[in-house]
Amino acid sequence: MKRLLLGLLLASPCLVWAQGSQVNTQGQKAVGMSGAGSALFVDESSIFYNPGALSKVENNAISIGGSAVMYRSAFREINSNDVHHTKFKISPPFSVFATFGPKESWWKAGIGVYTPFGGSVDWGTDWPGKYELNHLQLRAIYIQPTLSFKITENFGIGGGFVYNIGLVDLTRSIPVSDAAGVAGQAELSGTGTGMGFNVGVHYHLENNVAISLSYRSSVITKLKDGDAKFTVPAGLAASFPNTTFSSELPLPATFNFGISIPVGEKVDIAADASIIGYDIYKELVFDYKDNTPTLQDTRQIKKYENAFSGKIGINYKASETLALRAGTGYVYSPVRGPYVSPETPDNNRFMASVGFTYDINDKWDITGAYVMQQLFERTVSSANSGLTGTYKTYIHAPGLSLTYKW
Amino acid sequence: MKNILKNIQWSISAAAVVFVSSCAPDIESPSSSAGQANFSKYIAIGNSLTAGFADGGLYLEGQQVAYPNLIAEQLKAVGGGEFKTPFFSQEQHNGSGYLSLKALVDGLPVMENVTNNLAIRGLNPNGAPLYTKYTDQIHNFGVPGMRLDMAFAPGIGSVLGNPYFERLLPDNTPPETTYFGHVTSQEYTFFSFWLGNNDALGYATNGAFTEGPTSALTQTATFNKLYNDFINKLTEKGQKGVVATIPDVTAIPFFNTVTTARIVAGITASTGGAYTKVYIQTEAGVREATEQDLFGLTFPTDTLGKVSNGIPGYGLIPQNPLHDKFVLDKDEIVEVSTRVNEFNKIIKSAAESKGLALADAHAYLNKVKNPGILYNGIGVNASFITGNAFSLDGVHLTPMGNALIANLFIEAINAKYGSKLSKVDAAQYRGVKFP
Repeated sequence: MKRLLLGLLLASPCLVWAQGSQVNTQGQKAVGMSGAGSALFVDESSIFYNPGALSKVENNAISIGGSAVMYRSAFREINSNDVHHTKFKISPPFSVFATFGPKESWWKAGIGVYTPFGGSVDWGTDWPGKYELNHLQLRAIYIQPTLSFKITENFGIGGGFVYNIGLVDLTRSIPVSDAAGVAGQAELSGTGTGMGFNVGVHYHLENNVAISLSYRSSVITKLKDGDAKFTVPAGLAASFPNTTFSSELPLPATFNFGISIPVGEKVDIAADASIIGYDIYKELVFDYKDNTPTLQDTRQIKKYENAFSGKIGINYKASETLALRAGTGYVYSPVRGPYVSPETPDNNRFMASVGFTYDINDKWDITGAYVMQQLFERTVSSANSGLTGTYKTYIHAPGLSLTYKW
Repeated sequence: MKNILKNIQWSISAAAVVFVSSCAPDIESPSSSAGQANFSKYIAIGNSLTAGFADGGLYLEGQQVAYPNLIAEQLKAVGGGEFKTPFFSQEQHNGSGYLSLKALVDGLPVMENVTNNLAIRGLNPNGAPLYTKYTDQIHNFGVPGMRLDMAFAPGIGSVLGNPYFERLLPDNTPPETTYFGHVTSQEYTFFSFWLGNNDALGYATNGAFTEGPTSALTQTATFNKLYNDFINKLTEKGQKGVVATIPDVTAIPFFNTVTTARIVAGITASTGGAYTKVYIQTEAGVREATEQDLFGLTFPTDTLGKVSNGIPGYGLIPQNPLHDKFVLDKDEIVEVSTRVNEFNKIIKSAAESKGLALADAHAYLNKVKNPGILYNGIGVNASFITGNAFSLDGVHLTPMGNALIANLFIEAINAKYGSKLSKVDAAQYRGVKFP
């Protein structure tokens, strides 16, 4: 009877910086075109989209932007008629870009602070998958100092160093009931850091067609001494000691090709294609500092595949001061069926967007965008928990940014 | 101008409606349907499992999550009517009393009896408790301790009979009333029938040693006759229903927790290594117990080594073996398992011939025992306390176990009658309560 509690192994928490958490809202101009425009927009947001284009920016500028990302997921367990929805949550990714350097020079410097991954999902404690996840909040903040050079009038190259701060907070129920019949809960929270880089080249052809190639490296974020807190009945406290944990989260690399073509005096079309190196995400290991027979380190298989996305958008200069845009895109999911998890119940997705930029005066302009992403319905059976059912997700992301130029 | 404004207003509000409704995704559910069955009046027939008995007692919380009650809840969407259960009142919610887990000391469970707010109204002439009566119309006819053979025995509803059946009957009930007669005289369109477990389990938990009618092993021929009599009567007017097979007695924690190795380890430790074996009385004679022999969860370990029949060293020496009733030895396991398989054959062929749904609890609980199942992130197995399926008596189900069994019945009903009952979300139901 000594080893009675061996059966209560705490299944591994899953943590995914998955496709679902990647909503690119760094530049609202590109958001208005569903993410296309790395070749078209040559401004301070090029720090993210293509550092090679930064040297072609004539002015110096600072822009501040933010989005209100709303994940709305629904789940229906197989053979059940009950549909469960995530609670309404808004996560606010933000971005700040600033450029420095002499005007009309052969070089330009800049710094970007932005959140390429992040999200907030709250399924609550009353849904069929509560032993997989209650809620998850995560954010990766990238800080990227950048240098860019003009090799010729038409050809720019650039690169930046990326320092990442990752924040995570997740809870899940534990199948041990207290005297009131309430299940236990584990809460894991922590901060990790990682490093990477972002490089790109930007080329303008004579006919004003522009081509952009960029590569954002993977960033391995190391989480150390995160807090693992367990709310369990007092009789089990020794089996679930509050402790710390370490883990490693690989954020994938992205290789992007962009092109923009003027099709009229006032109209440009831009298209972007990306390969996202999610195959880096093979497994997730959680190493608890204090182990008990119940609380063991965990190793969870992820086996992600590389993902691909294609986006196309149109930019229309309606007047001297107003640009309107629209776009659409399609993203292939890196997640295989058995590894889909409720944090970001991923699937191939379709997106559509609209946006505008209004020049208030020579110094100021304001950009707004709205993108809606629809993750197609997907019926999966989790290799991790056995949870079987259908997920469907909409993501809404309205955003605004304000730019000051000098 | 006014018109234009109105048009703009209208467009904006229309756009807002489209926007808001597209905000949250919806997933289409298959429509519920009763298929070829009529669920308007469902009754449940069975024993303690059907009554919601758990943790060694019948009490309100267990009654509320009994698998028939969970099924009845799902039937509401497909024309199911009222489903009444002889619930104990709030004031007497602890019913017969039950076991609770008081503490875990070095991982060992310490139990205590819940003895307040009981529904005991007095004692019968033999000093056994009688429970507060519930004589209104009911639909859950689960009676703890009910056996198939006893279902046909007159007097079972008297104060000297089964107290859980006695409490359901009015005071002026004729003494010849049987459980069979009582339940088959009800009005119903659909029934669930899970009876017969105790015809083998009572014998097994008493170490395959018959001491009275509750520990007898029902003969196969008797079982065959009574089972078919019961089902024939239940389906007399063409009613449909679901029947369930009888689990293997070794699939429950009651027989898998106090192992021979544990007893030997205890003896070795407490005698300082002077004794290292446990001796048992079997039909074939006295011998050393092996891992193939099973002891019950209620085995009184404190009697080991004591004086018994004037001889010391009870169980430790071949001259003073443990009584036959404390051990289900390996030959007895074969005897009981064979009998259960014969019972299940009878159940399956009755279901087949009457066109009834069949919930194969025997197969399901064997799977729970080995290799165990993973249900939505919860490990469910036959381990005592931690296995989530079985309550503190090691025989009866936890609320989660009841939800899983309800789903087994629902799957069987859907498969047989082409109905579309929604499954129960078993993750919302607890396993054992920890201190």
